[in-house]
Amino acid sequence: MVIIPVRCFTCGKPIGHLYEEFKRRIDMGEDPKEVLDDLNVRRYCCRRMLISHIDLIDELLKFKRIST
Amino acid sequence: MEVELLERRDNELRFIIRRVSTAFVNSLRRAAIAEVPTMAIEDVVILTNSTVLFDEIIAHRLGLIPLTTPKEGYVMPKDCVCRGSGCSKCQVRLYLDVKAEYPMVIYAESLLSDDPNVRPVYGKIPIVELEEGQSLVLEAYAQLGLGKEHAKWQPVSACAYKYYPRIDVRSDLCDGCGKCVEACAKSVLKLNDKVKVADILKCTLCGDCVETCPKGAIEVNKVDDSFIFYLETTGTMTPEDVIIKAADVLIDKAKRFVRALEEAA
Repeated sequence: MVIIPVRCFTCGKPIGHLYEEFKRRIDMGEDPKEVLDDLNVRRYCCRRMLISHIDLIDELLKFKRIST
Repeated sequence: MEVELLERRDNELRFIIRRVSTAFVNSLRRAAIAEVPTMAIEDVVILTNSTVLFDEIIAHRLGLIPLTTPKEGYVMPKDCVCRGSGCSKCQVRLYLDVKAEYPMVIYAESLLSDDPNVRPVYGKIPIVELEEGQSLVLEAYAQLGLGKEHAKWQPVSACAYKYYPRIDVRSDLCDGCGKCVEACAKSVLKLNDKVKVADILKCTLCGDCVETCPKGAIEVNKVDDSFIFYLETTGTMTPEDVIIKAADVLIDKAKRFVRALEEAA
Protein backbone atom coordinates (compact mmCIF):
# COMPACT_ATOMS: atom_id res chain seq x y z
CA MET A 1 0.00 0.00 0.00
CA VAL A 2 1.09 3.52 -0.71
CA ILE A 3 -0.27 4.85 2.59
CA ILE A 4 -1.83 3.18 5.62
CA PRO A 5 -5.54 2.44 4.93
CA VAL A 6 -7.98 4.43 7.08
CA ARG A 7 -9.88 1.33 8.14
CA CYS A 8 -9.52 -2.42 8.40
CA PHE A 9 -10.57 -3.95 5.07
CA THR A 10 -12.56 -6.70 6.72
CA CYS A 11 -14.38 -5.25 9.71
CA GLY A 12 -14.12 -1.49 9.17
CA LYS A 13 -12.41 -0.62 12.45
CA PRO A 14 -10.45 2.64 12.08
CA ILE A 15 -6.73 1.79 12.26
CA GLY A 16 -5.04 4.58 10.25
CA HIS A 17 -4.26 6.65 13.34
CA LEU A 18 -2.49 3.72 15.03
CA TYR A 19 0.16 3.06 12.39
CA GLU A 20 2.65 5.76 13.34
CA GLU A 21 2.74 4.70 16.97
CA PHE A 22 2.89 1.02 15.99
CA LYS A 23 5.81 1.67 13.61
CA ARG A 24 7.70 3.83 16.10
CA ARG A 25 7.35 1.30 18.87
CA ILE A 26 8.41 -1.78 16.90
CA ASP A 27 11.34 0.20 15.47
CA MET A 28 12.40 0.76 19.06
CA GLY A 29 12.47 -3.01 19.50
CA GLU A 30 9.12 -3.74 21.13
CA ASP A 31 7.34 -7.00 20.33
CA PRO A 32 4.65 -6.34 17.67
CA LYS A 33 2.26 -8.66 19.55
CA GLU A 34 2.51 -6.59 22.71
CA VAL A 35 2.13 -3.29 20.84
CA LEU A 36 -1.00 -4.51 19.05
CA ASP A 37 -2.50 -5.76 22.31
CA ASP A 38 -1.65 -2.45 23.92
CA LEU A 39 -3.30 -0.50 21.07
CA ASN A 40 -6.40 -2.63 21.61
CA VAL A 41 -6.25 -4.14 18.11
CA ARG A 42 -7.65 -7.55 18.98
CA ARG A 43 -9.05 -9.18 15.83
CA TYR A 44 -6.63 -10.76 13.38
CA CYS A 45 -8.18 -8.88 10.46
CA CYS A 46 -7.16 -5.54 12.00
CA ARG A 47 -3.81 -6.86 13.22
CA ARG A 48 -2.72 -7.87 9.72
CA MET A 49 -3.55 -4.34 8.47
CA LEU A 50 -0.76 -2.95 10.66
CA ILE A 51 1.64 -5.91 10.55
CA SER A 52 1.64 -6.32 6.76
CA HIS A 53 1.66 -2.65 5.81
CA ILE A 54 4.66 -1.13 4.03
CA ASP A 55 4.51 2.62 3.52
CA LEU A 56 5.49 3.42 -0.07
CA ILE A 57 4.43 7.06 -0.26
CA ASP A 58 7.93 8.23 0.65
CA GLU A 59 9.23 6.50 -2.49
CA LEU A 60 6.62 8.28 -4.62
CA LEU A 61 7.44 11.65 -3.08
CA LYS A 62 10.89 11.50 -4.71
CA PHE A 63 9.30 12.00 -8.13
CA LYS A 64 8.11 15.42 -9.29
CA ARG A 65 4.65 15.63 -10.84
CA ILE A 66 4.69 16.62 -14.54
CA SER A 67 1.75 18.97 -14.10
CA THR A 68 -0.55 19.84 -11.26
CA MET B 1 -36.69 -9.46 28.89
CA GLU B 2 -33.66 -8.85 31.05
CA VAL B 3 -30.35 -7.15 30.31
CA GLU B 4 -27.12 -7.54 32.26
CA LEU B 5 -24.12 -5.37 31.48
CA LEU B 6 -20.85 -7.30 31.29
CA GLU B 7 -18.24 -4.94 29.95
CA ARG B 8 -18.01 -1.32 28.92
CA ARG B 9 -14.82 0.33 27.71
CA ASP B 10 -14.01 3.00 25.11
CA ASN B 11 -16.14 2.05 22.13
CA GLU B 12 -17.09 -1.40 23.26
CA LEU B 13 -20.12 -2.83 24.99
CA ARG B 14 -20.89 -6.41 25.99
CA PHE B 15 -24.12 -7.46 27.64
CA ILE B 16 -26.32 -10.48 28.29
CA ILE B 17 -29.86 -10.32 27.04
CA ARG B 18 -32.28 -12.90 28.44
CA ARG B 19 -35.75 -14.16 27.59
CA VAL B 20 -35.85 -12.97 23.96
CA SER B 21 -36.01 -14.83 20.65
CA THR B 22 -33.14 -15.25 18.18
CA ALA B 23 -35.21 -13.27 15.67
CA PHE B 24 -35.31 -10.31 18.06
CA VAL B 25 -31.58 -10.10 18.82
CA ASN B 26 -30.79 -10.65 15.16
CA SER B 27 -33.04 -7.81 14.05
CA LEU B 28 -31.39 -5.62 16.68
CA ARG B 29 -27.98 -6.57 15.30
CA ARG B 30 -29.01 -5.94 11.72
CA ALA B 31 -30.57 -2.58 12.59
CA ALA B 32 -27.39 -1.53 14.42
CA ILE B 33 -25.23 -2.41 11.43
CA ALA B 34 -27.35 -1.16 8.55
CA GLU B 35 -30.01 1.28 9.70
CA VAL B 36 -28.59 3.64 12.29
CA PRO B 37 -27.77 6.97 10.59
CA THR B 38 -24.27 8.37 11.06
CA MET B 39 -22.25 11.22 9.58
CA ALA B 40 -19.69 10.65 6.83
CA ILE B 41 -18.20 12.68 4.03
CA GLU B 42 -20.15 12.07 0.83
CA ASP B 43 -19.12 14.81 -1.62
CA VAL B 44 -15.65 16.26 -2.12
CA VAL B 45 -14.76 19.26 -4.25
CA ILE B 46 -11.04 19.24 -4.97
CA LEU B 47 -9.75 22.74 -5.69
CA THR B 48 -6.02 21.99 -5.78
CA ASN B 49 -4.28 18.67 -5.55
CA SER B 50 -0.58 18.51 -6.37
CA THR B 51 0.03 15.57 -4.05
CA VAL B 52 1.12 12.10 -5.20
CA LEU B 53 -2.33 10.62 -4.55
CA PHE B 54 -5.14 10.87 -7.11
CA ASP B 55 -8.21 12.97 -6.30
CA GLU B 56 -10.32 9.80 -6.12
CA ILE B 57 -8.04 8.13 -3.57
CA ILE B 58 -8.10 11.21 -1.36
CA ALA B 59 -11.91 11.48 -1.64
CA HIS B 60 -12.22 7.79 -0.75
CA ARG B 61 -9.97 8.17 2.29
CA LEU B 62 -11.96 11.22 3.43
CA GLY B 63 -15.19 9.23 3.18
CA LEU B 64 -13.83 6.50 5.45
CA ILE B 65 -12.76 8.89 8.23
CA PRO B 66 -15.28 8.46 11.06
CA LEU B 67 -16.99 11.72 12.04
CA THR B 68 -18.79 12.39 15.30
CA THR B 69 -22.55 12.17 14.88
CA PRO B 70 -24.58 14.61 17.00
CA LYS B 71 -27.65 13.07 18.65
CA GLU B 72 -29.95 15.76 17.27
CA GLY B 73 -29.89 18.51 14.70
CA TYR B 74 -29.50 16.78 11.36
CA VAL B 75 -31.87 14.97 9.03
CA MET B 76 -31.24 12.53 6.21
CA PRO B 77 -30.89 14.41 2.88
CA LYS B 78 -33.88 12.58 1.39
CA ASP B 79 -36.13 13.72 4.27
CA CYS B 80 -34.83 17.30 4.23
CA VAL B 81 -36.88 20.36 3.25
CA CYS B 82 -34.25 21.06 0.59
CA ARG B 83 -35.05 17.63 -0.90
CA GLY B 84 -31.44 16.54 -0.88
CA SER B 85 -29.93 19.47 -2.73
CA GLY B 86 -27.89 20.29 0.38
CA CYS B 87 -28.57 22.80 3.16
CA SER B 88 -27.44 23.40 6.74
CA LYS B 89 -30.05 20.95 8.07
CA CYS B 90 -28.72 17.94 6.18
CA GLN B 91 -25.15 18.82 5.36
CA VAL B 92 -21.92 19.93 7.04
CA ARG B 93 -19.07 21.54 5.18
CA LEU B 94 -15.49 20.62 6.04
CA TYR B 95 -12.56 22.54 4.65
CA LEU B 96 -8.94 21.63 4.11
CA ASP B 97 -6.25 24.02 2.90
CA VAL B 98 -2.61 22.99 3.22
CA LYS B 99 0.46 24.13 1.36
CA ALA B 100 3.61 22.33 2.43
CA GLU B 101 6.62 24.51 3.18
CA TYR B 102 8.50 21.40 4.28
CA PRO B 103 7.78 17.65 3.93
CA MET B 104 4.74 16.89 6.07
CA VAL B 105 1.75 14.63 6.68
CA ILE B 106 -1.81 15.95 6.53
CA TYR B 107 -3.94 14.43 9.26
CA ALA B 108 -7.69 14.26 9.69
CA GLU B 109 -7.43 16.98 12.38
CA SER B 110 -6.61 19.51 9.61
CA LEU B 111 -10.17 19.17 8.35
CA LEU B 112 -11.94 22.28 9.62
CA SER B 113 -15.64 21.77 10.17
CA ASP B 114 -18.39 24.40 10.04
CA ASP B 115 -20.05 22.54 12.92
CA PRO B 116 -17.77 21.67 15.86
CA ASN B 117 -20.14 18.78 16.69
CA VAL B 118 -19.26 17.09 13.40
CA ARG B 119 -15.52 16.52 13.29
CA PRO B 120 -13.11 13.60 12.76
CA VAL B 121 -13.17 11.19 15.70
CA TYR B 122 -9.49 10.34 15.35
CA GLY B 123 -7.40 13.41 14.57
CA LYS B 124 -4.30 11.40 13.75
CA ILE B 125 -5.58 9.49 10.73
CA PRO B 126 -3.16 10.36 7.90
CA ILE B 127 -4.85 11.64 4.73
CA VAL B 128 -1.79 12.16 2.55
CA GLU B 129 1.90 12.96 2.78
CA LEU B 130 3.30 16.06 1.08
CA GLU B 131 6.66 17.03 -0.32
CA GLU B 132 7.83 20.64 -0.06
CA GLY B 133 5.78 22.90 -2.35
CA GLN B 134 2.87 20.47 -2.83
CA SER B 135 -0.59 21.55 -1.77
CA LEU B 136 -4.05 20.22 -1.14
CA VAL B 137 -7.12 22.42 -1.04
CA LEU B 138 -10.57 20.88 -0.87
CA GLU B 139 -14.10 21.22 0.41
CA ALA B 140 -15.88 18.16 1.72
CA TYR B 141 -19.58 17.75 2.48
CA ALA B 142 -20.67 15.32 5.18
CA GLN B 143 -24.21 14.05 5.50
CA LEU B 144 -26.20 11.42 7.37
CA GLY B 145 -26.42 8.03 5.73
CA LEU B 146 -27.14 4.37 6.43
CA GLY B 147 -24.80 1.39 6.59
CA LYS B 148 -26.92 -0.44 4.03
CA GLU B 149 -25.99 2.15 1.43
CA HIS B 150 -22.26 2.33 2.15
CA ALA B 151 -20.10 0.78 4.89
CA LYS B 152 -18.64 4.21 5.74
CA TRP B 153 -21.98 5.01 7.41
CA GLN B 154 -21.94 1.89 9.57
CA PRO B 155 -21.73 2.97 13.22
CA VAL B 156 -20.23 -0.39 14.27
CA SER B 157 -17.08 -2.23 13.23
CA ALA B 158 -18.12 -5.32 15.15
CA CYS B 159 -21.64 -6.26 16.16
CA ALA B 160 -22.42 -9.85 17.00
CA TYR B 161 -24.14 -12.13 19.48
CA LYS B 162 -23.78 -15.73 20.57
CA TYR B 163 -26.00 -18.10 22.47
CA TYR B 164 -25.52 -18.20 26.21
CA PRO B 165 -23.69 -21.48 26.88
CA ARG B 166 -24.66 -24.07 29.45
CA ILE B 167 -22.21 -26.79 30.53
CA ASP B 168 -23.33 -29.76 32.59
CA VAL B 169 -20.76 -32.09 34.15
CA ARG B 170 -22.18 -35.31 35.58
CA SER B 171 -20.27 -35.74 38.82
CA ASP B 172 -21.22 -39.43 39.05
CA LEU B 173 -19.43 -40.12 35.71
CA CYS B 174 -16.51 -37.62 35.85
CA ASP B 175 -13.31 -39.22 37.17
CA GLY B 176 -11.30 -36.03 37.08
CA CYS B 177 -8.90 -37.11 34.31
CA GLY B 178 -8.59 -33.50 33.09
CA LYS B 179 -8.60 -34.29 29.35
CA CYS B 180 -11.44 -31.86 28.74
CA VAL B 181 -9.60 -29.05 30.55
CA GLU B 182 -6.67 -29.50 28.17
CA ALA B 183 -8.94 -29.79 25.11
CA CYS B 184 -10.70 -26.49 25.78
CA ALA B 185 -9.15 -23.72 23.65
CA LYS B 186 -10.79 -20.99 25.72
CA SER B 187 -9.92 -22.27 29.21
CA VAL B 188 -13.55 -22.51 30.22
CA LEU B 189 -13.04 -25.55 32.45
CA LYS B 190 -10.89 -26.13 35.51
CA LEU B 191 -9.99 -29.18 37.50
CA ASN B 192 -10.90 -29.16 41.16
CA ASP B 193 -11.03 -32.85 42.04
CA LYS B 194 -13.91 -33.08 39.54
CA VAL B 195 -14.24 -30.84 36.45
CA LYS B 196 -15.81 -27.46 37.17
CA VAL B 197 -16.79 -24.51 34.98
CA ALA B 198 -14.35 -21.62 35.46
CA ASP B 199 -15.62 -19.05 32.96
CA ILE B 200 -18.86 -19.90 31.20
CA LEU B 201 -18.94 -16.67 29.15
CA LYS B 202 -15.84 -17.66 27.18
CA CYS B 203 -17.41 -20.90 25.91
CA THR B 204 -17.98 -20.89 22.15
CA LEU B 205 -20.04 -24.11 22.14
CA CYS B 206 -17.35 -25.87 20.07
CA GLY B 207 -17.96 -29.19 21.80
CA ASP B 208 -14.31 -30.28 21.96
CA CYS B 209 -14.67 -31.17 25.64
CA VAL B 210 -17.69 -33.38 24.91
CA GLU B 211 -15.75 -35.26 22.23
CA THR B 212 -12.64 -35.65 24.40
CA CYS B 213 -14.34 -36.95 27.53
CA PRO B 214 -13.84 -40.74 27.68
CA LYS B 215 -16.73 -41.15 30.12
CA GLY B 216 -19.27 -39.00 28.30
CA ALA B 217 -19.71 -36.94 31.44
CA ILE B 218 -19.90 -33.48 29.83
CA GLU B 219 -22.78 -31.98 28.02
CA VAL B 220 -22.63 -28.55 26.32
CA ASN B 221 -25.84 -26.85 25.29
CA LYS B 222 -27.03 -23.41 24.30
CA VAL B 223 -29.62 -21.60 26.34
CA ASP B 224 -32.24 -20.96 23.68
CA ASP B 225 -33.50 -17.60 24.90
CA SER B 226 -30.32 -15.96 26.23
CA PHE B 227 -27.58 -14.24 24.26
CA ILE B 228 -24.25 -12.54 24.78
CA PHE B 229 -24.28 -9.41 22.64
CA TYR B 230 -21.11 -7.57 21.71
CA LEU B 231 -20.68 -4.36 19.78
CA GLU B 232 -17.78 -2.08 19.00
CA THR B 233 -18.40 1.29 17.38
CA THR B 234 -16.16 3.21 15.01
CA GLY B 235 -16.24 6.09 17.52
CA THR B 236 -18.92 8.04 15.67
CA MET B 237 -21.26 7.59 18.66
CA THR B 238 -21.31 5.62 21.89
CA PRO B 239 -22.30 1.93 21.76
CA GLU B 240 -25.28 2.68 24.04
CA ASP B 241 -26.55 5.27 21.56
CA VAL B 242 -26.14 2.82 18.69
CA ILE B 243 -28.23 0.16 20.44
CA ILE B 244 -30.89 2.69 21.49
CA LYS B 245 -31.09 4.10 17.95
CA ALA B 246 -31.28 0.56 16.54
CA ALA B 247 -34.20 -0.21 18.87
CA ASP B 248 -35.84 3.07 17.76
CA VAL B 249 -35.52 1.94 14.14
CA LEU B 250 -37.29 -1.33 14.99
CA ILE B 251 -40.06 0.50 16.87
CA ASP B 252 -40.49 2.80 13.89
CA LYS B 253 -40.79 -0.15 11.51
CA ALA B 254 -43.39 -1.83 13.71
CA LYS B 255 -45.40 1.41 13.84
CA ARG B 256 -45.28 1.79 10.06
CA PHE B 257 -46.42 -1.81 9.69
CA VAL B 258 -49.40 -1.24 12.00
CA ARG B 259 -50.34 1.89 10.10
CA ALA B 260 -50.15 0.06 6.75
CA LEU B 261 -52.25 -2.74 8.20
CA GLU B 262 -54.90 -0.30 9.41
CA GLU B 263 -55.03 1.35 6.00
CA ALA B 264 -55.39 -1.99 4.29
CA ALA B 265 -58.17 -3.16 6.62
